[in-house]
Amino acid sequence: MGFRRICRAEEVPPGRTKFACIDGRPVILANYAGSVYALNGICNHQYKSLEGAHLWDHLLDCPWHHFQYDVRTGENHFPKNVYPKDVPRLQEQVKPLDTYPVEIREGEVWANLDSA
Amino acid sequence: MGKVARQVVEQAGVNVDVLLDKLVRAAGAEFTTFYYYTILRVNSIGFEGEGLKEIIEDARIEDRNHFEALTPRIYELGGALPRDIRAFADIAGCPDAYLPENPQDSKAMLAVLVEAERCAIRTYTEICNMTFGKDHRTYDMALAILHEEVEHEAWFSEYLNEGPSGHFRRGAPGASPYVRRFMTADFS
Repeated sequence: MGFRRICRAEEVPPGRTKFACIDGRPVILANYAGSVYALNGICNHQYKSLEGAHLWDHLLDCPWHHFQYDVRTGENHFPKNVYPKDVPRLQEQVKPLDTYPVEIREGEVWANLDSA
Repeated sequence: MGKVARQVVEQAGVNVDVLLDKLVRAAGAEFTTFYYYTILRVNSIGFEGEGLKEIIEDARIEDRNHFEALTPRIYELGGALPRDIRAFADIAGCPDAYLPENPQDSKAMLAVLVEAERCAIRTYTEICNMTFGKDHRTYDMALAILHEEVEHEAWFSEYLNEGPSGHFRRGAPGASPYVRRFMTADFS
């Protein structure tokens, strides 16, 4: 199905996030330094919604347990940077978020949710 | 529960159920951090570790104090701690502060400590922002905890060569200079 319209671009000003459900798929948008990024809207820690997540620089901060993801790559930053690597159960919790290509078309945010 | 205590907060526009969820998660994070910091302190040994031990101990006891300060407010507002401590640990608002694979690696140990404090700072900043001008008692307490979490971060940052903390030392281990006035059990 390719790109889908998510919202108007003005709904995601710099430094802010916006959560949306598109055809039942949770998506979180983040505007870091003027660029809008789209990621899967469910945290891989306990599979809770990222609705209400804050943005600290380029890091998306999950509102439930403060797991943090790099909006540019989806990679977990915290607690992956401090979790011991010899505990497989913990490594499962810090898997990256899926990221989706974004295009701004006539002031609207579109994301390709099928690309991940 | 304090009926009017909750009512005035609700009437000021705070969603008390959301606030309670944040307070219980914060209490869970303090409780689990107290546990994990105990392990970190025990393993903080050797030439480098011995220097860290004192501030880990201060932060460890002060995090327990934060749990003690938060708990009465949760019940005043009509909330409760989970009956099952396992459930409590699972909803803790910050990731667990695990001992690194190599406990002799002081930098790895410090990374765990400083990240835990940064998570706490974000937690209490959110609670302060939510309650400012609306729920004076919770705000006052969350701000007191925030003061101590900011100091903890600065102590550990100093060891990571991120600049001086600007602080000296607690007069006694875990003295909680800001939170102690909310403690009813341990301090007179």
